[in-house]
Amino acid sequence: MILGGLMALGLTAALAANPALTGRWRLDPARSTALDGWHKVDLVVALDGTRVALTYDMLWIRSKVVVTNTVDTAHPVELKNFFRIEQRHMAVYPAKHGITQATAAWIDGGRTLRTEVFTPVEISQGEVLMRMTSEYRVSETGDTLTLIELHSTRNRPLVYVFNKVPTEAAN
Amino acid sequence: MKTMQSLIRLLALLSLGGAPLAHASAEISGPAKVGRSAWLLHFDSDWKNASGLPEKAMLIGLQGLANRTAPRLYITHADDFPWEITGPIAEFYQRKHGVQFTALKTADEALTQFAQYAKGYVVWDPAVMPTMNVAYTIAGLEDAVIVTPALIPLVAKHGLKPIDDLRGRYAGMTDVQIYAEAKGRYWARCSHDKLMLMGGHAGDMRIPGVADWGVRERMFFHDLSANPAQPDEVELEKQFFSEMNPGGFVFGWHSYAKDTEEQHTTLTSTFGLRMEGLQSLPNLSFNCQFSFTPGFRFANQHHVDRATKLVAEKKVYLAFVQSDGIGLGVWTKPGRGRLSLAWSAIPSWLEFSPAALEYFHESATAADYFIGGLSGPSYMYPNHIPAERFDGLMREAVRQMERLDERVFEILDNSAADGNVGNADLTKATVDRYYAAFPNVIGFINGYGPARTRDLRDTRPMISYDYYVDPKRPRDEVTADLNELIALNQKRPYFCMVHVRESNDVNSLVEVIKNLRGPVEVVPVDTFMKLAASNQTYMTRYQDPDDPKHFEGYTR
Repeated sequence: MILGGLMALGLTAALAANPALTGRWRLDPARSTALDGWHKVDLVVALDGTRVALTYDMLWIRSKVVVTNTVDTAHPVELKNFFRIEQRHMAVYPAKHGITQATAAWIDGGRTLRTEVFTPVEISQGEVLMRMTSEYRVSETGDTLTLIELHSTRNRPLVYVFNKVPTEAAN
Repeated sequence: MKTMQSLIRLLALLSLGGAPLAHASAEISGPAKVGRSAWLLHFDSDWKNASGLPEKAMLIGLQGLANRTAPRLYITHADDFPWEITGPIAEFYQRKHGVQFTALKTADEALTQFAQYAKGYVVWDPAVMPTMNVAYTIAGLEDAVIVTPALIPLVAKHGLKPIDDLRGRYAGMTDVQIYAEAKGRYWARCSHDKLMLMGGHAGDMRIPGVADWGVRERMFFHDLSANPAQPDEVELEKQFFSEMNPGGFVFGWHSYAKDTEEQHTTLTSTFGLRMEGLQSLPNLSFNCQFSFTPGFRFANQHHVDRATKLVAEKKVYLAFVQSDGIGLGVWTKPGRGRLSLAWSAIPSWLEFSPAALEYFHESATAADYFIGGLSGPSYMYPNHIPAERFDGLMREAVRQMERLDERVFEILDNSAADGNVGNADLTKATVDRYYAAFPNVIGFINGYGPARTRDLRDTRPMISYDYYVDPKRPRDEVTADLNELIALNQKRPYFCMVHVRESNDVNSLVEVIKNLRGPVEVVPVDTFMKLAASNQTYMTRYQDPDDPKHFEGYTR
């Protein structure tokens, strides 16, 4: 069973990347789960072989945050400064010096990127691990990206819908 | 004053339908006596510079003059006004203090009644908005009403003569140039205990609701910026602050167009000054002249004695706090009383608005509990209060809490935050000072948005908010957020303090609580503190120097 699972993971990881995912995407708040603490969210995706760079370009009033999580569909990676789109009115913070374990795979015939991370977060009772499974799905027309995020600690998924930012506007 | 329907409703509330239009007000000094006459104006919602503002600005200044020696003129406001309590407190004055209000329907009627308290008028220039503030400063010093050119015929009709005319004097000057020039002319004669920050809305509207108080107390009016990007304005404001008397007050609010609440409160705190919001706060010139009704004492509805020891069970304990200006909040909205809620009353109203505090206590339900704060005797950011000023300010806060029968103290320092998110933590030195200054509290609350300063010393916990309820957040997401916090904080007991932002709907929170998972119990804040003292499942933590800071602060 374990071998079968690893083989399946290897097969899915070996699927070709979906180039339609690349580029700059801008959050459409009206079609997304309500998000407190951020006025503007851009997601920039870049592909480099089996590596996928997911850059979050965030703005809240005057606070700008630009952070990149780079995952690899060929093997697990450790991320020192993992960023998650947090609901900032909750006392849940990235753990100081926390190391996040991340895996990634192309699934659904290579159309969808799935990532799974185990990230340490600081809460009032100390530090705990949160598992986050995320799927990045591009619409057939290529103009919409839907990010579905499921937490091990939250039964209600978070759904963020992004619209493609034209290349000239993104530059 | 076009909302006649609202006025009619209010008059019905006050049973004033047959009251005479004009009769003499008793001349008194000192605390108001039971049974008196006063007059009442009702304002509509039009505060536009080009329409409703000039007349209202004139009338609010006139109110300050009329109320110099006795409480004569009270103003009620439209339903959508930021302070929702002007009507209920008018009713309170009538019921508890025997005030018989006579309605004034127009500015002309108000001038007929009160022009006698003005020695003349000063003209401000709507094209140079800071001249309104300069005019208010002059109004306090010279007993003048402030008018735009269009209003000159109206005040002249009532026999008022020109005292000053600001048209042209400040044309082409920057704000800092205007206020620097005005400082040279007027500051020496103004109060150095109280300063008026008449900011708030910018652009095409202003709400100078607290100007009556500034005129009555002869304050200097300005809207200088605390934004480091405007260093000239910051430096001039620092000059004012450094020349104020220790423990002085800054009334009003920052300009929404220039800087932030966080920047301005950081600056006032850096000088150990007491911030008293807002620029729209009405009727202080009236309210300050009433004391508490005979025999009234604050009796908070405590759920535990100071010495009580409780033992927390393996549960999730939730407590809810509403800390914004109490009159701004959900007090008069439906649902209050259905949820145990702690309220941060405005302690300086002991001095400036006793009737309002008495009104809140009188109308409290069994579910309402009052706590002290915010951070001191007024709104302050404690990480920036000079060490030599801290203990004196907190002695005043302790005195206020004793009078108000409060046992839990709330703290907020948003100096390093950005809006209501980000770093709202206290340094260990600040926490040490609070524990030393408040030996008799049963616990402290910290934050506005979530924060992570926590401690437990002897039996006094310091708990930060784990959650902030944004009134715009869908309730199913609020439910999911709280359930996620419960899932993340797996130790039992889990102590979850929740801040309820002003204008939230209590009824909707009751529904949220019904959908929480786990062994959840909502408890009053004083009970929460006693339970949190029994089992510290929360981590002791202070502001970490490595935590991101949006703003470091100022030098004096």
